[in-house]
Amino acid sequence: MRNDLLAEIFRKSLLTRVFEDRFVRLAMEGVVPPLLHPGAGQEVSQIAAIAALEDDDPVLYAHRGVGYMVARGVSLGAMLADCAGRAGGTNNGKGGIMHVVDTAKGIFGESGTLGGGFVISVGMGMAAKKKRTGRVVTHFFGDGGSNRGTFHESLNWAAVQKLPCVYICENNGWAVSVPVSDSTAVENIADRAQGYGIPGVVVDGTDPDAVLDAVRVAAERARRGEGPSLIEIKVVRLRGHYATDPQDYRPDAAEAARNDPLETLRARIISLGLMSEAEVASLQAACEAEVEEAIVEMQAQPVLSAEAAFEDLLV
Amino acid sequence: MREITYSKALNEALDEALAEDEDVIVYGCDVGRWGGIFNITAGLQAKYGVDRVFDSPISENVLVGAGVGAAVGGLRPVVELQFADFLLTAGDEVFFKAGMWRFMHGGAFKVPLVVRLPSGATGAGPEHSTCPEAYVMHSPGLLCCVPSTPADAKGLLKLAIRSDNPVMFFEHRRLYQTRGPIDDEAPTVPFGQAVVRREGRRATIVAWQLMLNRALKAADILAAEGLEVEVIDPRTLAPFDFETILTSVKKTGACLVVEEGYRRLGVGAEIGARLFEEALPYLDRPFRRLAIPDVPIGSAPALVSRILPSEEEIVATVREMTR
Repeated sequence: MRNDLLAEIFRKSLLTRVFEDRFVRLAMEGVVPPLLHPGAGQEVSQIAAIAALEDDDPVLYAHRGVGYMVARGVSLGAMLADCAGRAGGTNNGKGGIMHVVDTAKGIFGESGTLGGGFVISVGMGMAAKKKRTGRVVTHFFGDGGSNRGTFHESLNWAAVQKLPCVYICENNGWAVSVPVSDSTAVENIADRAQGYGIPGVVVDGTDPDAVLDAVRVAAERARRGEGPSLIEIKVVRLRGHYATDPQDYRPDAAEAARNDPLETLRARIISLGLMSEAEVASLQAACEAEVEEAIVEMQAQPVLSAEAAFEDLLV
Repeated sequence: MREITYSKALNEALDEALAEDEDVIVYGCDVGRWGGIFNITAGLQAKYGVDRVFDSPISENVLVGAGVGAAVGGLRPVVELQFADFLLTAGDEVFFKAGMWRFMHGGAFKVPLVVRLPSGATGAGPEHSTCPEAYVMHSPGLLCCVPSTPADAKGLLKLAIRSDNPVMFFEHRRLYQTRGPIDDEAPTVPFGQAVVRREGRRATIVAWQLMLNRALKAADILAAEGLEVEVIDPRTLAPFDFETILTSVKKTGACLVVEEGYRRLGVGAEIGARLFEEALPYLDRPFRRLAIPDVPIGSAPALVSRILPSEEEIVATVREMTR
């Protein structure tokens, strides 16, 4: 990977981490509801995956974290406004952090029912194919979401139609409090690709080069009209299911914390000489300042009119 | 004026919509090669090609959900579910995705989707017999068509395909072979406009599709006895034209809803509740409902006819109401 791209993935991952940790404190303070599912541990691979796509390729994201939105440059202040019930958000108070949307940046939303987005991605792929837009539709989901029946229906039909879709499973080993070994019959979710006659690969979520390469290969195949691919990224979940979940059910939390991909990337950036320790520290400070500015921006917005409850239903 | 069948009217609506707009696609189980298990899409794949009219796997969730995604992506999909009962098989996709994807994303998307839902009891068993439109009427974000005549079947389907909102389109299977006049020059009837199918002053009957036909036959029998009843066809259940019913009830003072859905919390329950809220001073007689008693619909013909409201029951109910 080019050094400037690696540095950019690091910057966005760090910004995501800083934003989410600050979000959790805002939730403790009661400024926003504690409904964020932190993506800590998954940011690097989310951002590396999106770096492999064109800037306007549509993305249907998963519920864990905002790395996808930061990757595409969605306004942090707007996302906070969505959560704080203020004007200036992306979804007019309807969807909080779960349904951030910015179609100009290719952020096409999320299903609140986990695994409910697979079916949407199939239709978007059908539209891209029929309209010959050249766009690739990427759907992110978790190991938990992969156990919905929609996974099977969607990957099967996407494969039959050779749709320009890329399916990216972020396997963090936990569906809320249930370990993947208790819920999933195969070790690798990517193995299921065989059942649809499509490529299925497993990549290490601490290795942004591997993620970038896998998604590039899948996106190129999709753009050539050869159909969808399934990529499974093995990642770690560093936080609870939601912002204030103490995750007492996890015996592996300490081990996960020792495998933080952001720390691995930080060390690599320094060892490659892309940044000094001092430069990393000042980047961290810049990210913190950007998040504080976003909070000020959100707080400057008026509280949403309650009448918004009646808007945005029918055209 | 021409006279055509209800199924031909639906086929013409699809044909014309495909011809008018390149973005219209039609898919579902068996709609391509076969032309649909009820023959509604006959000839369309040959005419418009497999890219626009195509078969699908037996995967109701992705059929409806992909319709939402394709609509978001700029197409105008028309999805056939073989039986209206499968509305519930695809519940997440119908109620949350079609009904709420736009809302939950703050109006960022339009969802111009039509799901065609052949309904009605023909002895095919509990999962292939129902008229589940009350679920749609209950849930926000969905439009709901229940055409009763060939003219309305064609007009409402064309309007549904042109609409930028998701439409659940119920076609009654026992009406497919019924015939009726169609005026190709007539303006399209908008959503939310009921029609008075027969005028009368002694009671108001609200019914649609098969039950409308039974209500009209009952009205003939009652007229011979000197009981003139008004029969209203709502045409769409969402939006719902309550005003036309209110106007009629102010005149007649009595209202009966006849429906092929389950009685408990059905469409009739909603109409009755609204009359109670808004028209109590005008009701001289208790509001009445005829519907499927709250049991599943079996397959033996005797079981089906035992629970479907009949002309005789409608006649007896109106007699009793107006006594």
